[in-house]
Amino acid sequence: METIHKPLKRRSRYNSSEARVAYICLIPAFLGLFFLTYAPLLGVLGISLTNWTGLKSPQFIGFDNYVQLFTTDPYIKDSIIATIYFAFLSVIGSMVYSFFIAMLLNRKIPARGLLRAIFYVPFVLPAAAIYVGWSWLYEANFGFFNFLLSQVGLNKVLFIADSSYVVPSLSLISVWLSGNLIVIFLAGLQNVPGVYHEAAEMDGAGAWKRFIHITLPSMSPIIFYNLLMSLIANLQVVTPALALTNGGPGNSSRFLTYLMYDQAFVNYKLGYACATTFVIFAILAAFTAVLFKTSSRWIYNEGGDDK
Amino acid sequence: MITGKKMGAGLLSAALVIGVIGCGSSEDKETNTASKGTDTTSSSETSSSKTEKVKITYSMWGSAEEGSVTQAVADKFNASQDRIEVEVVSIPWETYMTKLNTQATGGQLPDTGMLKEDGVIQWSSEGMLNDVSAMYEGSDSKPLDSLAYKYQGKTVAYAAANEILLLYYNKDMFDKAGVAYPPSVLDQAWTWDEFVAAAKKLTVDKNGKHPDEEGFDANGIVQYGASVENLPWQLETWTLSNGGGFYSTDGTDVRIGEDASIEAIQKVADLYLKDHVAPLSVGQTDDGIQRTIIAGTVAMATNGAWNVGTSLNTAKEEGLNYGVAVLPYMKEKVTLNTGGANVVFSQTKHPKEAMEWLKWYNSEENNWGLISSGIWMPTLQKWYTDEALTRKWVENPNFPPYEEYKSAVVDYAQSSAARPASWFFTNYTTDFNTLLGSVLGDVWTGKTTAKDAITKNLDALKAAHTGNK
Repeated sequence: METIHKPLKRRSRYNSSEARVAYICLIPAFLGLFFLTYAPLLGVLGISLTNWTGLKSPQFIGFDNYVQLFTTDPYIKDSIIATIYFAFLSVIGSMVYSFFIAMLLNRKIPARGLLRAIFYVPFVLPAAAIYVGWSWLYEANFGFFNFLLSQVGLNKVLFIADSSYVVPSLSLISVWLSGNLIVIFLAGLQNVPGVYHEAAEMDGAGAWKRFIHITLPSMSPIIFYNLLMSLIANLQVVTPALALTNGGPGNSSRFLTYLMYDQAFVNYKLGYACATTFVIFAILAAFTAVLFKTSSRWIYNEGGDDK
Repeated sequence: MITGKKMGAGLLSAALVIGVIGCGSSEDKETNTASKGTDTTSSSETSSSKTEKVKITYSMWGSAEEGSVTQAVADKFNASQDRIEVEVVSIPWETYMTKLNTQATGGQLPDTGMLKEDGVIQWSSEGMLNDVSAMYEGSDSKPLDSLAYKYQGKTVAYAAANEILLLYYNKDMFDKAGVAYPPSVLDQAWTWDEFVAAAKKLTVDKNGKHPDEEGFDANGIVQYGASVENLPWQLETWTLSNGGGFYSTDGTDVRIGEDASIEAIQKVADLYLKDHVAPLSVGQTDDGIQRTIIAGTVAMATNGAWNVGTSLNTAKEEGLNYGVAVLPYMKEKVTLNTGGANVVFSQTKHPKEAMEWLKWYNSEENNWGLISSGIWMPTLQKWYTDEALTRKWVENPNFPPYEEYKSAVVDYAQSSAARPASWFFTNYTTDFNTLLGSVLGDVWTGKTTAKDAITKNLDALKAAHTGNK
């Protein structure tokens, strides 16, 4: 019994000291997370309970900001709708688009390297230049798209000047910008074992069947990652509103982050803006939670049962 | 296990050290900035005790280079007397108000500085600004009356510059269409209908047809007749002109819901929707002149006087033949005055010295670069009334012909038509204008009418006017 007991004990000791080292190594990361993420988050929560404008010292007003946000605020409802609508279109659009392009770029086509660079380039271009360029394309009176429409005898489309078209128009830019997703999909596709495809081909599976039963399941962890990143990024959308529309026409592109920016740095209602920030945080958290909850059903994990 | 513990302890202490260094350095930074702040005050105190000079800081928006240009002007002031020493602090425009807010919270505001138009009454209502009524007592020339910011009857700031709204037009387009130029003299100002009629003659589709001709194609317009800037704050002009307004003259009541105000806004929208003389603009971006007159697609456009110096001067050098005229009117002749403010912060210990500096600095000679380029108009009355001074200001190649500018801008600015924009006397104009801009979004495209949009949101607009309290 002694002989059996000893190695066991040593093993557990070894384990606990390993755990200790692991914890100690995590301290710097934890400190960073705490001071740069969680402490500010608590700070935002604290400020959101005040009427701070930056000029006078803040007064505690309980949940008044939240109450006001959901009862009398003229923007928040439109803002939530616009944000979710934009994120929905952009996430679906950019996932389908970048998966499709990645599949094409994964084939042995001529000038593949050049094409890969071309599809990635929009992602690294400076945002200001991109949006100025697109504003010329979308311009309602003399823009390039309207010039093309008039050449083929069609009526003008107002694009970003029309409250019904502005979000789809901005989503299109977002889809066009998703070069980073293409790169990640491409890396994933190159890891799908070729033997599966060969085996399936021998069994007589066509291209579509192989895509559904081999490519998609093998890619599911990558799809999940891209979906998550794309969802978070698109729910936080602000640049197109700042660069192109200033939230308009009406509130149709007054995305939540833009609304928060406007409250904080145009109207200097810092307490109120912090309350909005917490609403954004809650929405992001809810969407992310749903995504994680459902992920186990469709993600195919090849190895390991750790989740 | 022992080694494990040691290693752990080593790592722990290393982590602690890193942590301490991290904290230490951030603390250092904080104390540094704090001590910088106190340095200026303490050194100002010490220097004042040594040289008997009061040191004051003046903050302005602009780049470091712009700051050093202003510092050079301040140095002249510093050399001209032995009581006051001015230090200029320049802060980039994008972060200017945020920075001042932070400084206000920390009690670290400069003694005096520039303030954005729409911040003056708010800061004043929070007790952050000094009364400057006494600044021009006993002076030979005062700023124009319309350039004083007033809170509860007291003058809390004067504009650093003057700006008014004008009608710009492309002379070549008028000549080609054989239409008389819009009048530069206030007495002859066009009525709204005359303005629309002229705009129709200047609007051409790709077949050369005008809006009231048979077969005119509104989808194929190649040249528009007119564009009235529909940024919310500029729309106030037209509501006033039609006998309405955004607010009552003391700024307490909201008048945007009155028929006259609504009708005026609808008339502006109808330039695109019904008259087909204007390009579509949804009133969200501040680049009206670039999109119209400079792009060469529109014959007439309303906008602020600053455009003479910020963009039209370059376009003129490149061959644009433009003129300036007074705005058309609906019932009353109205243009708006505006201009960023120079204020004395209430945190200062030296309000008198700060005012003395501001008064000296605001004399036109010290801002000559901005004035002679056409970006700023002078604030002191004598530049408008003394012809020699007016000629000195206007007779230079950056400006349209003297007679035209003198009549359409200089005389216009001191006429009864010139009224202060509402941020000179009303709080929460940003809240109100932002909401109005959002309310009108679908009016410009004709999805709804000004009547419906404003009536539906009137309560929210009234709430915005009181800061949603």
